[in-house]
Amino acid sequence: MTSIGVTLDDLERDALTELVNIGVSRAAASLRKMVGKQVLLSVPSVEVVTQNAAAALIGQRESDDLVAIRQEFGGAFSGKALLIFPEDNSLELVRAIVGDELDSTEVASLKDEALAETGNVILNGCLGTIANMLNQSLQMSLPRVLYGDGKVLFDVDTGAETDGLVLFLYINFSVRDRNIRGYIAMIMDLPSLGVLKELLGDFISRVTADSNWAVGG
Amino acid sequence: MLTNEDMDESGSSQVELAELQRQIKDARHRLELTLEAAGAAGGWVWDIAARRLTADPRFAALTGQDPLELAQGVPTSKFFTSIHPEDVRRIRLAVAGMLAGAEVFSKDFRLQREDGGIRWVHAHGGTVLNEQDQPIRFHGTLIDVTDRKRTEDQLRVAQTAGEIGTFEHTEGYGTVAVSRQFCRLLGLHPTNVLPVRTINLLVHPEDRPIIDPKLPSKPRSERNIEFRITRADTGETRWLARRGEYQEDMETSGLRYIGVLYDITDSKRIEERLRLSNEALSENVRERTRERNQVWQNSRDLLTVVGVDGVIRDVNPAWHTVLGYEEASLIGRAFVDLANGQERDQAQRLVAFNRSSPPASEEVALVGAGGSLHVFSWDAAAEGELIYLYGHDITAERKQAEILQETEALLRQSQKMEAVGQLTGGIAHDFNNMLTGIIGSLDIMKRRIANKRYDELDKFMSAAITSAQRAASLTHRLLAFSRRQSLDRKPTDVVPLINSIRDLLTRTLGERITLQTVLPESCWRAVTDANQLESALLNLAINARDAMPDGGQLRIEVANVTFAEGITSSVDEVPVGDYLRIAVIDTGEGMPTEVLDKAFDPFFTTKPIGQGTGLGLSMIYGFVRQSGGHVEIASTVGKGTTVSVYLPRDHGAPSITSSPTIERTPLGEGETVLVVEDDPAVRLLVVDVLQELGYLALEAADSDGALPILQSSARLDLLISDVGLPGLNGRQLADLARQSRPELRVLFITGYAAMAASRSDFLGAGMDMITKPFAMDDLATKIRQMLVDP
Repeated sequence: MTSIGVTLDDLERDALTELVNIGVSRAAASLRKMVGKQVLLSVPSVEVVTQNAAAALIGQRESDDLVAIRQEFGGAFSGKALLIFPEDNSLELVRAIVGDELDSTEVASLKDEALAETGNVILNGCLGTIANMLNQSLQMSLPRVLYGDGKVLFDVDTGAETDGLVLFLYINFSVRDRNIRGYIAMIMDLPSLGVLKELLGDFISRVTADSNWAVGG
Repeated sequence: MLTNEDMDESGSSQVELAELQRQIKDARHRLELTLEAAGAAGGWVWDIAARRLTADPRFAALTGQDPLELAQGVPTSKFFTSIHPEDVRRIRLAVAGMLAGAEVFSKDFRLQREDGGIRWVHAHGGTVLNEQDQPIRFHGTLIDVTDRKRTEDQLRVAQTAGEIGTFEHTEGYGTVAVSRQFCRLLGLHPTNVLPVRTINLLVHPEDRPIIDPKLPSKPRSERNIEFRITRADTGETRWLARRGEYQEDMETSGLRYIGVLYDITDSKRIEERLRLSNEALSENVRERTRERNQVWQNSRDLLTVVGVDGVIRDVNPAWHTVLGYEEASLIGRAFVDLANGQERDQAQRLVAFNRSSPPASEEVALVGAGGSLHVFSWDAAAEGELIYLYGHDITAERKQAEILQETEALLRQSQKMEAVGQLTGGIAHDFNNMLTGIIGSLDIMKRRIANKRYDELDKFMSAAITSAQRAASLTHRLLAFSRRQSLDRKPTDVVPLINSIRDLLTRTLGERITLQTVLPESCWRAVTDANQLESALLNLAINARDAMPDGGQLRIEVANVTFAEGITSSVDEVPVGDYLRIAVIDTGEGMPTEVLDKAFDPFFTTKPIGQGTGLGLSMIYGFVRQSGGHVEIASTVGKGTTVSVYLPRDHGAPSITSSPTIERTPLGEGETVLVVEDDPAVRLLVVDVLQELGYLALEAADSDGALPILQSSARLDLLISDVGLPGLNGRQLADLARQSRPELRVLFITGYAAMAASRSDFLGAGMDMITKPFAMDDLATKIRQMLVDP
């Protein structure tokens, strides 16, 4: 199916950015509860790029090895959502979550489990919120922890179609007083993008008609 | 009904109202101006549950609303008042997001003013959440950023146009604030913040990082730095430059570095290309130097550098290989000292430093370290204070040339011998005739004397003498002809020369060919070698004879010829002037053109193998050219051939050839003469002649007989000795005699033409030679000369 014509206009992009902003804010609230620290978020960035470029974007920003918690989602639209950290501060995140009283061996043994759980909370919060806003529901797969560079995280090396366009959005977050920062990234394939475009259109007309839309419902 | 007061009151209140309104308007205007001047921020609070918006006067002024109303609270839809139509949906979306739980509100948008102008504002806000994490209030500030926007636009345009990226790094921060152009220069995705690591990892490991990990404690002037980066997107290597300055940071105690980045790859590449081409150039020079050095090292010719003082400054290894000198031993020596003794002058000319005339080429032989002589052909080139000499070894060529000359001489000789061979048959026949004449005459005389008939003896004696003289002259000619002689150019009378070889020619041609000569009296003398000319004519005659197997006529014509300007000969360039032409004309078969073209080529012969060397004509050509003349050959098949020899005219005064006067044989005056001769007949003859002439003659058959006489104290005025004696030869005998009689005159008799030819080598002072056979008168004259001359 040809999907070259599927691109988001400025307003749709703004709308999507807002949705992600809401979703990430919810997720950050969950994270805040988990670590008991202020979580700072950046303004989200949304782009339609090739899968290669998405991998390169992460690779560019983070030259070190990365760790990611990845969840696939399906429903009205489908794709992958990732919570990505530089590997060297993933332990710090685990510590922040499980507490500072554990020694490093215990932390290391718990690491993957703790990361998967954290990723699940954040990604579910984020995607769930977005789905709710669009009056849709999504099914989420179990989280997987991956180690590697951008290419590994985005399946660029698997030989699958990687020059296709994807929706790539990411948000920088950092935890105050902790050396923790990361990205949330989401990639959707183009058929989903078509559906998403429609849903965003509906969302825009609902929202712009009423300034108190969010609380009027 | 209105009273005046009412009127006054209403009038004055209206005036007052108008005044108030004017003041309010002024105040507003002032407020606007003040707000603009202050770039002030207006604040707002959006109560989500009560759906009311309250805001301060600045917000009101910015959005063009009533500050009082806003202070008391208005419906939340008033938040969007004055927002530019193109921005309003975007802002509504963002606000909706906030109300739905988003945490960050940060938007730039345009406000429309009453006067139609546009004002850029930046709204920054957040939400306050309740216990359940539900947003209850949305509040923030609105800042006029028109000027900043304009400046930012200018900066952005400037950065894009000038491809200059900006960045700002505060000490201690792990991230750097960057511009989009900054990201583009590094091939990064445009963003506003980048980790320090990310930026510095793109820099080539050997170069200085873009972001200094540690800033200095005090601001200092910072030089530009240049470095290579690997573009994150393409992997391409680019050169960038960084400039910037340090500033005290307001918020931290540390420093901030504000800098710009720009691409200098092109200029670097040009620089690099320039460097490379310079390197290539110097590499070329080095290569050329190497090549030259190779030439210097490997040349088999002698190369040397000589100063203006003639002293050798440098020599190449060939000096060692060719001459055996150690290079070091030559440096500092005078070039001239190496030359062969007789050639110092040429060597001096070679190193004479004369700006006006370039050094000439010279052939100078050098003496090798082992004393051997090597001949070199030298070229010299002066440059600055130095002379470069280049000597090509021509020793071998020289030797070859000598061998060639030797060979040529041998060839000439063999040519002559060939001609002699050609003559032998005829000569033997002639000799028989002559001997017959002599023997016959003597027989007749003997018989007549026996019969006492003396009346006609004279006639037969004359006949015998004539025959004998003819035979003598023939052998003389033959001997002279077969003698090896070098070319000896002298003024020569050609006509008598031709007459003298007429006999030879006639016999050579045989009976079927008639010889005609055209020899005018008025002929000039030519400068040539008589012997060679005879040989040449004889050769031509033999060629002519072979061209006329069935007989014919040979003409030899001599004539004076003058070549004037513009007349070219058929053979080659001939200088203008007077020549003597000797044409040898036959009526034979003639030659076709292809043979004619090769006629002068050495070894070209049309004769069967073994009958000719093919050198005849080429030898003639060589000899005539040596004489300064030239040869022409013309031939028509079936008609005959004409060979014309042109010899240069002699312009000297003609020597007066006195006709030989009959002189009386000079007589002796009683001097004592010792005759040493092993042939008794000859000894008898010589002793007889001496006695008749009035000398006192002693005789000996060999040195054994002669030495006692020579070593005695007896008077002795002359020694006459045969050269070829048994035991000591004549010369050795003479030397022995000279030990006791240093003044003794010696006359040698020899039968060897070769000995006669080299008489000068053989004879010392006071010695002379006479060749057998000789006439008695000649002997008498020679003896008299030797005894009379001091």
